[in-house]
Amino acid sequence: MPLNLSQPKRKNAISLTPLIDVVFILLLFFMLTSSFVPWRIVDTPLSVSSDSPKIAEEIENITLTLKVNDGQVWVKDEAIRFTDHAYFKTLIANHNDGTFIIKAEDGVTLQTLMHLADRLKINGATRVSIANAFAMPETP
Amino acid sequence: MKIGEKFARRIASDDDNMVPLINVVFLMLVFFMVAGQIKKADPIAVSPPHSINDTRAANDPNVVIVVGVDDRLYVDDQLQMIENVQAYLEEQFSLSLDKEGFWVQIKADGAIPLDKLRPVFNQVRLAGLTKVSLATQLERGEE
Repeated sequence: MPLNLSQPKRKNAISLTPLIDVVFILLLFFMLTSSFVPWRIVDTPLSVSSDSPKIAEEIENITLTLKVNDGQVWVKDEAIRFTDHAYFKTLIANHNDGTFIIKAEDGVTLQTLMHLADRLKINGATRVSIANAFAMPETP
Repeated sequence: MKIGEKFARRIASDDDNMVPLINVVFLMLVFFMVAGQIKKADPIAVSPPHSINDTRAANDPNVVIVVGVDDRLYVDDQLQMIENVQAYLEEQFSLSLDKEGFWVQIKADGAIPLDKLRPVFNQVRLAGLTKVSLATQLERGEE
């Protein structure tokens, strides 16, 4: 009598549990290491020589000075709120080819500076310079 | 009976109800692999200022300076004293192959007062570098 060697085949699929273990570990790894917030950059070109800002001042530039983090900026000895869109719009329309130079006193935070730069850009300013805010105060 | 046997074995297999789970997990895995970017984390947690600016860097910065709220300064992941930054930058610049494209990224927390950042910018300027960029994050949902 021939031996029936072919065993009743069990469904010899690979057990899924180890697979899931590995896949879960991979999933955790990718979830923890990946970042979805790409950083944006704002160029703040630094002038090497101190002469260039003086030459630039011949064109009419508007200097905005931040004194404290109270949502106000000083333009020509006048305090303007950041939310005063009408003022910014007319200011920018009147000085279309000038550069808006933002200066800041000690204690003003980076976020305040960026807020003001954003305001100017929203209202149509094309040339906004924030590099002066980072310049060392001139020692007399 | 053959049919009955087959049927019984199929029910006995525990792994079958795992298949939908694996499908979902695989989908998530593929999503995170494709959509995420693997990056080295910053040495300290900084929350850069929010801005509407949407400019992305074309290439990676040559030097990254991270300034935390507690005024600690990390240059390329190493804690540095402010006085040594200039020398470090000059060294990196001399080692760099692409001198035209050499740029420095400053990642500073939005809550940092500007007078704390001025010495950092001054060091970059003293090193003779002009290409500096500040890191910002895209503002969402304001106004």
